[in-house]
Amino acid sequence: MFGLYFGHYLVDKNKISQSQFNDLMQQHHKIRAKLGFIAVSEKLLTAKQSEEINEIQKKMDRRFGDIAIEKGYLLQEEVTYLLNQQGNSYLRFVQLFTEQNILSIDEIETYLEEYKKDNKFSNAEIEALKSGDIDRIIPVFVNADTPFTNECISLAIRNVIRFINSEVLLQKAFTVNDYSFDGLASQQMIGDHKIFVGIAGKDKALLEIASPFAKEHFTILDEDAFDSICEFINCTNGLFASKLSHEDIQIDMTPPEYYTNQRLVSAGDIYIVPIIINGEQADIVVAVNVEVGIN
Amino acid sequence: MAKILIVDDSKTSRKILRSILEQNGHEIIAEAVNGEDGLNKFKEVQPDLTTMDITMPLMDGLESLQKIREYDRKAKVIMVTAAGQKTKMVDAIKYGASEFLAKPYEAIQIIEIINKVLV
Repeated sequence: MFGLYFGHYLVDKNKISQSQFNDLMQQHHKIRAKLGFIAVSEKLLTAKQSEEINEIQKKMDRRFGDIAIEKGYLLQEEVTYLLNQQGNSYLRFVQLFTEQNILSIDEIETYLEEYKKDNKFSNAEIEALKSGDIDRIIPVFVNADTPFTNECISLAIRNVIRFINSEVLLQKAFTVNDYSFDGLASQQMIGDHKIFVGIAGKDKALLEIASPFAKEHFTILDEDAFDSICEFINCTNGLFASKLSHEDIQIDMTPPEYYTNQRLVSAGDIYIVPIIINGEQADIVVAVNVEVGIN
Repeated sequence: MAKILIVDDSKTSRKILRSILEQNGHEIIAEAVNGEDGLNKFKEVQPDLTTMDITMPLMDGLESLQKIREYDRKAKVIMVTAAGQKTKMVDAIKYGASEFLAKPYEAIQIIEIINKVLV
């Protein structure tokens, strides 16, 4: 997933072309990062040591990790760690960059530092992004004022990834009291908590959600397309309500509704989480325990 | 093969369910868009089985279930809903629902439940 974030950044900064990025995106699903490459990237081996092991492998049928341990370059625990990193999206991405001579490791490290500064990410946040673990990635972008609100937003994001598009790009969440939208599908939940969950955006962005959920190709944002987004929100909220009921928190869901060209207003915080799906930005809109008016 | 009535306010949800059920040899004899419509269609088409959403405008699925069961004590109604809270499940069973299935579901789950209810 981090390859996706970093790749978009490199395209925006004209470090790689859009077609190079698209090619890499297609290829990176099909490969596993090589152990030697990971070891050098993680600075557990030097490039020379990695090459030496590769040369030995050409002469005898032995595993990279076994040779590295025998030579005293790596410990068993380090090899285990490297093996676990082979599926890491970021490392696969970087390997493709270097193998195809698009960027060197040094260039990647330089751009990664710039990416970190430009986005004001801490080292811990960059490591979370590199991990590819969605549970670690979401808090990088979403930091609501209560764990309950965080949980509600996180579940909505997870369900977008699960049911709509696994390569959704998150942007930093922010709060507003007044939010204008072109289109909005939303649902209120009432009971022990009052929760508003919606998805808003321009037509093209909302179609990126409507089509995959209904498994039907919508070309215009009509009533049927909105219905699909409403049902997606209904399912997401249902999962949240079901989870809450196991904690003896009762909430009732009201029928989802959709609106066009209006605005949300609230005296409290409305959380906006921008998500990019196939280049189109939609916003997940969440408000917890505050009144939200639509006008 | 069963003759089935689908009650759900979401067209998307009805379409997905219809597709699964028809692929498995069942016949959808009617669709209804809210609880009240569901009650009327039930009386009209007398289905072997009804799938019922809960969160719907005008009349919700629990009230519709109650009224259908008052009309026909043997009516087989499966609640297929995103509103999967424990209290809803308890109410649905109390009002005579045959089974309860939470959305989103896999095709195999709904088919297994229908087969179980139809026995």
